[in-house]
Amino acid sequence: MANLKFQISNLKYVIIALAIIMLAWLLPALYELVSPRTDKMPFVVYSCLDSTFIRFESVNKQVHYVDFRGQEFSKAEADSLLPLFAFRQLVAEGRLPDSLYGVALTPKLIQQNAFHFKTSPKQLNKPAVGLYTMLESASGRVDLQLPPDVFRLTEEGLEFIDCESNTVNRAKSLSFSRELTKHGFEFPVQLIWGNGTTRKDYDNGFLLTDSNNRLFQLKMVKGTPWVREINHQSPVTNHQYTNVFVIEPANRALIGLVVTDDHQLYAVRSNGQLAHVGIDAYDPQNMQITIVGDLFHWTITLYTATDSRYYAVDARTFEQVAREIVPDPERPFSQRLERWILPVRLRFTSWRTQLIAPNINDD
Amino acid sequence: MLKSIFYKEWLKLRLFWCLAFVVHVGLVVYMLLSIRSTLLASGVVETWATMIGRDVLMVDSFMYLPLVTGVCIALCQWLPEMQIKRIRLTLHLPIDDTLSIGSMLFCSIVGLCVLFTADAAVLAIVEQVWLPRELVWRTFLTCLPWYFGGMLGYNVVSWCILEPQWKGRCVNFLIGAPIVALCFLSTQPACYEPMYPWLLLLLVVTTCLPFYSVYRFKLGKQ
Repeated sequence: MANLKFQISNLKYVIIALAIIMLAWLLPALYELVSPRTDKMPFVVYSCLDSTFIRFESVNKQVHYVDFRGQEFSKAEADSLLPLFAFRQLVAEGRLPDSLYGVALTPKLIQQNAFHFKTSPKQLNKPAVGLYTMLESASGRVDLQLPPDVFRLTEEGLEFIDCESNTVNRAKSLSFSRELTKHGFEFPVQLIWGNGTTRKDYDNGFLLTDSNNRLFQLKMVKGTPWVREINHQSPVTNHQYTNVFVIEPANRALIGLVVTDDHQLYAVRSNGQLAHVGIDAYDPQNMQITIVGDLFHWTITLYTATDSRYYAVDARTFEQVAREIVPDPERPFSQRLERWILPVRLRFTSWRTQLIAPNINDD
Repeated sequence: MLKSIFYKEWLKLRLFWCLAFVVHVGLVVYMLLSIRSTLLASGVVETWATMIGRDVLMVDSFMYLPLVTGVCIALCQWLPEMQIKRIRLTLHLPIDDTLSIGSMLFCSIVGLCVLFTADAAVLAIVEQVWLPRELVWRTFLTCLPWYFGGMLGYNVVSWCILEPQWKGRCVNFLIGAPIVALCFLSTQPACYEPMYPWLLLLLVVTTCLPFYSVYRFKLGKQ
């Protein structure tokens, strides 16, 4: 009994430990509340006319247009330097060039070749539902419709579940699984990505990799499966795919983007060929990526924990045209002070993931 | 003797347990009806698409109910004991203090477990008629940290009430409230997976804390 009482009295050390842990979490949270962080990521676009990047910096609710040489432009000058980005304004002012690099410019052509893609570690690292929507990609209608079923991945194939009856549609499941197997796909599926939304112009279906690290495209065309293997005689043969993304640009030139374990980014052309995108390295687990594409170039921005990397690549060949790496500015005094007075900072949320987990000093 | 303690706890808390049961059943039925009405009004296909694509599970109204239940049961169980120090009688029973207090805590923890398991089971059994197993499992994973919040809330409030000094109660509350808040950091479905071992550890640790308050009470801290 005395021994037990001794143990109960020891609970005060447990309480002290709990108090320290809670303080390590609450104090940094309170500090952040008092001195909020203002990490602004400027919007950057490559100007094909000036062969430079132009930053849109917001200072005191006013947008400043600056290039990396420090030259500042007026709004009208920035519009002129970015004719494919500001074409609506230029059309309204009657200032849109007739042609650029020998290509006759029309608003429709510019609009068709405009492309935007953005993702971040936080968007990727979240618990997956495990259910996917296979849209009909050739319905003959302008608007895409939600299908009457969703599918899940199993060890042996795809399993379609009818929404109304909540039962497995065996015939459809077998048909899609067999079609994939017929094209050399070996289950189970390793990676899969599709855009299940109907708010888009058309559907590119799914990109998925099999257990042999081979990349396939799967679509539903008039209710039947349509499968194509993406060129496996590519530079990626010796590398594992780590991420696949389906994209649906208006010009239909591409079907997706893929990333390999050596952090190389590839564009999947609509003819099923892979093209290396000329940026140094993209690690989806630790970098936020933004791609703003136009008729001639893609501006690719990578935000890492220590710097911002800006690349311009040719929109057809994906070869690098320009590059700018800007280290993050020195942390403000309030953040340095926080690190000094609160050497152990416990957080349960992170910029890297939507999962709740304890992280120490993960700023 | 333990049987008598369990019976005493039942007599003391039976009204509250009945009320909690009615409220929980009511809210679970309400949630199920609201899911059903959405399925009927918006269409099954659209509702599934929203649940899959937009992470909407329609169980948000349940979020704080386990916590409220845990806190209320702790208040109903321990406030009468601490009024005019009635707990002295329990501590003078011819059994070990740890056993008597432990059995009282055990009664409520088991009661909460049964209540929360019944909630989860009814929700899952009915939902699996309308929804695929992935969404049913996701709903359970979304509610699980809230159940942890209810249990932790019970432990923390019991720890605070049993503490004999007001100063100590305030300190306990300041330590305990953030522990409970850990269960309500995000509304993103199924995002607590890495936290389950830690929440389980906190549950075990906080279950021991009321014993320390009783220990201090017995030392004569006033």
